[in-house]
Amino acid sequence: MESSTSDTTLAKPTVDLTGGHTVRRYDQELAKLRSIILQMGERVIDQTQAAVAALIEEDESQAYRVLDREPLVDYLSLDADEEVFRVIARRQPTAVDLRIVLALSKIAGEVERAGDKAARIARQALELRQQETDGVLVTEALREAFQALDDKACCMFERSVHAVTTFDVTQALAIFENEPALYAAAQALREQLSASGSDGLVPRQAITLFHCAQALKHIGSHASNIAEQVIYVALGQDVRYRNREILIETLRHHGY
Amino acid sequence: MNTLVETMDKTTTGAISSADLAKDRPSSATVGDVTVADPRMTCRSVDVWYGAKQAIKGVSLDIGKNEVLSMIGPSGCGKSTFLRCLNRMNDTIDGCRVTGSIKLDEQDIYDKSLDPVPLRAQVGMVFQKPNPFPKSIYENVAYGPRIHGLTNNKAELDELVETSLRKAGLWNEVKDRLDQPGTGLSGGQQQRLCIARTIAVSPEVILMDEPCSALDPIATAIIEELIDELRANYSIAIVTHSMQQAARVSQRTAYFHLGDLIEVGETNQIFTNPQHKLTEDYITGRFG
Repeated sequence: MESSTSDTTLAKPTVDLTGGHTVRRYDQELAKLRSIILQMGERVIDQTQAAVAALIEEDESQAYRVLDREPLVDYLSLDADEEVFRVIARRQPTAVDLRIVLALSKIAGEVERAGDKAARIARQALELRQQETDGVLVTEALREAFQALDDKACCMFERSVHAVTTFDVTQALAIFENEPALYAAAQALREQLSASGSDGLVPRQAITLFHCAQALKHIGSHASNIAEQVIYVALGQDVRYRNREILIETLRHHGY
Repeated sequence: MNTLVETMDKTTTGAISSADLAKDRPSSATVGDVTVADPRMTCRSVDVWYGAKQAIKGVSLDIGKNEVLSMIGPSGCGKSTFLRCLNRMNDTIDGCRVTGSIKLDEQDIYDKSLDPVPLRAQVGMVFQKPNPFPKSIYENVAYGPRIHGLTNNKAELDELVETSLRKAGLWNEVKDRLDQPGTGLSGGQQQRLCIARTIAVSPEVILMDEPCSALDPIATAIIEELIDELRANYSIAIVTHSMQQAARVSQRTAYFHLGDLIEVGETNQIFTNPQHKLTEDYITGRFG
């Protein structure tokens, strides 16, 4: 081995990774692709918050609004696909550009599926309204548990969208670090639903609420998947399926 | 591509080495392993000066057996100069001075006792612009073996010409007009004729200096297919300005910048995750 193996400090990206091409149109094309995905992400955050509000406030009109707006995220994902094809065909991206295009394509899929989960929660909220017989279905305790899970899932998702704006490894790591709290909130909600016979829920209603809890947890998981892609772009390392604790420790050790 | 075992190991450990992550290195040190397990040529600490101007700065690099090594970099980075050191073509340039060590199969090619003429048969060269001799197609291929005394009679020479033209993928196109001028062929055919001429003297290494830059995409594809076939029998070093070509044809890629060898590595790695920022900036079109 005659080459250098000298270790140097990891440089944090200080410039926009999509920029700096001699052909400035290329910068614009990558920025456009990312901008579509950021738009999708912002819509999904709104959709999720509205869907959870529809559920815990038992507000049908909110649920219908979520379902009406769902196709907008799908249409944006089609736009993102078209941009991905266009960039690959015209620019033949390599290295970090190739990683950006591949990652943004996968992120678009994650965001689109997170949007589906928000719509699922809205549909379940409507189903609950149809099942409802007497009195308040979602008790105060359940409402608080849903709100806690929603806060964690939406916080992770919002952070993941922000991480995409600058392919920020530090933000991506923060999302990984939030996973245990997400899982704990989901587990607490599941336990509450399992023991909710005394709250007057029939099994079918409990199962519907359980599906909502699962959908919220999955939105948090989509955020983690997006964070993995952010790290892939920034560091060129595929960190899927790696031990999270060691991964976080390693990257923190390198100053992230 | 990681093996399953490597993937599982990463799953278990989650660890990423510093070497995996580092992007910024001292500019004077080459990133990546310049050596190969089975080298045909070994270059160590090669410096080249044109008069007082240093064109190559301490470059070390191996060329492996049966591999295609591509050399990329902006104009003036020294990649063609380095290529021309490999068969002493720079000897013909006044004021050019080469130091360091360049060996072909353990033989120092700059040894004062070594005759550069047979060396240039062992390490053949194909140039940017096809340059057939103003002779017949047959004579273009037969000339080298004849002056090097590689055949004993006409039948052997005929066979060698045919074999060389077949290896260069040109035989079927020219077998009925071997007596016609080589210069009458198309650009792509002329370049394959030059490759046949190089092959005819049984080289170990073929150097190619932008061999497709004067060719259309179809002729380029034919040459690239030929390069892939020739790899079975020869070591090939190619200088190209087409990064897509480097990505398509080579197993290893070396990136030069201002006379330094900045990075060398598996072509897949160089084009998906180069370790040096200069390499990344160049191959992604951010300067140059």
